[in-house]
Amino acid sequence: MEEREVILSAKDVEVKFRVRDRILTAIRGISLDIYKGETIAIVGESGSGKSVFTKTFTGMLEVNGDITNGTIMFEGKDLTKLKKDKDWEGIRGKRISTVFQDPMTSLNPVRTIGYQISEVIVKHQKKSKAEAKQMAIELMKQVGIVNAENRYDDYPFQYSGGMRQRIVIAIALACRPDILICDEPTTALDVTIQAQILKLIKDLQKEYGFTTVYITHDLGVVANVADRVAVMYAGQIVEIGTAEEVFYKPAHPYTWALLSSLPQLGVKGEDLYAITGTPPSLYDKVIGDAFAPRNPYAMKIDFEEEPPMFKITDTHFAKTWLLDPRAPKAEPPKAIRNLHERLLEITDERGDYHG
Amino acid sequence: MKRYVLGRIIRSVISIMVVTCAVIVLVFMGVPRDRIFRQDQASLQKLASKPDELTNYRYNKWEDIGYLDFQPLSEMCTNSSDDYAACMVPGSDEFNRVVEQYEADGYTITEYETSDLVFASRDYSPLELVWNFLTSFIEIDHPNVIQDADNPDLERRIYIGSDFNGIPAVKCTGCEHEYLIYFDSSFPFIHQNWIQLNFGESYPTFQRRDTLEVISSGQGELVNAPTTFPNGTTGNSTLNLHTCTYKPTASMDRMDLNKFDTNYANCMSNYSSPSMINLSYIFGIAALVLAYLIALPAGIIMAQKKGKWQDKLGIIYVNIMISVPSLAFIFFMKLIGNSFGLPDKFPQLGFQDIRSYILPVIILALLSTASLMIWVRRYMVDQSNADYVKFARAKGLSQSEIFNRHILKNAIIPIVNGIPGQIILCISGSVITESVFAIPGMGKMLPDAIKANNNTMIVTLTFIFTALSIFSLLAGDILLTFVDPRIQLSSKGETR
Repeated sequence: MEEREVILSAKDVEVKFRVRDRILTAIRGISLDIYKGETIAIVGESGSGKSVFTKTFTGMLEVNGDITNGTIMFEGKDLTKLKKDKDWEGIRGKRISTVFQDPMTSLNPVRTIGYQISEVIVKHQKKSKAEAKQMAIELMKQVGIVNAENRYDDYPFQYSGGMRQRIVIAIALACRPDILICDEPTTALDVTIQAQILKLIKDLQKEYGFTTVYITHDLGVVANVADRVAVMYAGQIVEIGTAEEVFYKPAHPYTWALLSSLPQLGVKGEDLYAITGTPPSLYDKVIGDAFAPRNPYAMKIDFEEEPPMFKITDTHFAKTWLLDPRAPKAEPPKAIRNLHERLLEITDERGDYHG
Repeated sequence: MKRYVLGRIIRSVISIMVVTCAVIVLVFMGVPRDRIFRQDQASLQKLASKPDELTNYRYNKWEDIGYLDFQPLSEMCTNSSDDYAACMVPGSDEFNRVVEQYEADGYTITEYETSDLVFASRDYSPLELVWNFLTSFIEIDHPNVIQDADNPDLERRIYIGSDFNGIPAVKCTGCEHEYLIYFDSSFPFIHQNWIQLNFGESYPTFQRRDTLEVISSGQGELVNAPTTFPNGTTGNSTLNLHTCTYKPTASMDRMDLNKFDTNYANCMSNYSSPSMINLSYIFGIAALVLAYLIALPAGIIMAQKKGKWQDKLGIIYVNIMISVPSLAFIFFMKLIGNSFGLPDKFPQLGFQDIRSYILPVIILALLSTASLMIWVRRYMVDQSNADYVKFARAKGLSQSEIFNRHILKNAIIPIVNGIPGQIILCISGSVITESVFAIPGMGKMLPDAIKANNNTMIVTLTFIFTALSIFSLLAGDILLTFVDPRIQLSSKGETR
């Protein structure tokens, strides 16, 4: 893989929350380089810290949360040093934008669609209102709003869910950001609209060349769009690699379990696979491998010492003692061994599920 | 929307009438009817030596107020007998026939205490009470109202003319009123006499005046002002020429003829003080504006500084205001005001002095600030947690931009909806304040009327308060459509 330009580089990021006099460590030292123009997906179950991690890119942590360690370098600036809203001006919403999960509530119900789009253009690009309106209508056309001129003055309630998410994307892209963070952009939409929205983001990415960070727990979405995949568990990245590597040669037992529980892989008549147990409490210090208590392959050392990041290929890393030369050989579960063939079986030529 | 609003108005009117009729039945059937004379002891005492006249007086009053149908013998004989003279002799055949006929019709025949004459009376049933009220409730003026035998050539038409100031007005000849629609300098600047609501006469307080007239006409001293009369003469006069009604030719006196060239010479006067309704409105609106001026910014600051000392201070204030009984608060404020030299009672300095208004307005305003503040705060906090606020932040808007452009507009919606309701609260809330400060307003009128057993006044005020509250709900909903694009008032099947 050729050397690519790193656009955002997180090092040893640690995020803590104060929750009723207790300290919760939501992110436990994440290092991640995001390359220019790539699509990286961060997957993991609820509470694994994937949203919290990306919120540090835009300074959107809740008031009781702080970055307690690490650096996030973006264009030569350390984003962890930015505290006030004023510091973030020119970055948040301009260079790094976010699309949220629920388009139904992401838009202000009593402001027109047009106002909400042109507002960002006026704010970040210092255009006049009339210019902003022209640009906004152009954007609306680009995200696929038919009859954009006439719908400029409509209110969100007059738009369907899919169309609202298109508007949210238009707003996020209004200032041609370098990085677009999509925080579960399709979770609230029905499947046919999901595919349309994913395709829209893909097409726009081709056109503008921005970097996309997907946050999702839908592996279907990941398979569909991602160049690279980072798997998060209990506030850490446990495995990272290209989409092919993570899907077809997964190395971490958590990734195995995650892939095994894909409902699409379920066999008729058999129970769907579910990971037993619950994630560890992040209020307490995690000793050893956080996944060990739920891991059927866990060894003694998993409960004693935290595993380092093992390098598998130049692009593929995993944080599990199973990769230590001294570890016994463990095979991934049968359900995901020939994942490639199984996935080909259940997807059509465009990569969409038909099952 | 038009159809919806029309439907709402019709339903509102029906609700108002239902409430009013229920109150009529309650007041007329539930309260012992002798009580209405308690405040009229002077008249009763005068007649104490003449028991028959006393009986007549009492029954006449009851009939005027609407309790019953009263017919002394003379009326019975005029109505039901061809032989008046024979009928008027108790014991005669004709007399007995008439009495029997009346008894058959459900009347009670009673003998007077001293004379041997009788009279008939029949109490109205609840249904008749309501029916009588409804049938005489609305009076529409039209050119055929006046029937004056002495003035057979009376012209009968409605026309657009000008009043004594040269301002256009809809005038009428042949109607009860000379001016049907006119403009003047007092709120709401356009007035009408076309449609009159009739609630009956006020008794025992404010006797021989219609209840509506009592609360809507000026109070205090008569005001003399240079006036040009219809026939061109000028002079100082207290008359308000807009209110003139027809005076039968027979009762036109020389003074009338000196001033008026038509029969519309029965005019009300101008008074120095505003009417009860206007006074209550002055207080209500002033207090409302003040309350919003205090509570809106206070609630907004509390929401913005949630959890900080500003918020805590506000919550302490709200708690105190809600937990202290309003009467105690009123007297407490009065004490403070008095130490600043503000008057104890409204009439001390009168309506011309601004100091008379300060204390009651402040009290009325503060009384409604507490709930307003807590609601404003709550709506603001609710909205600041909304997803669109998070997204607006992600868009890169600053805190103040998010606040002014997004949160405020959403939080204001329920507040706007409540504004008309607050106006009503100000007026009805002033029942206590007006009593404490002896303000001659409409709010004080209700407890006064109940104390005096002034039935017609109670019904009138019930009608006014009910109408105000029901239409304030409608007004609130209509206001909503201006601030919230999602709300369209339309009935089923109506296109937007």
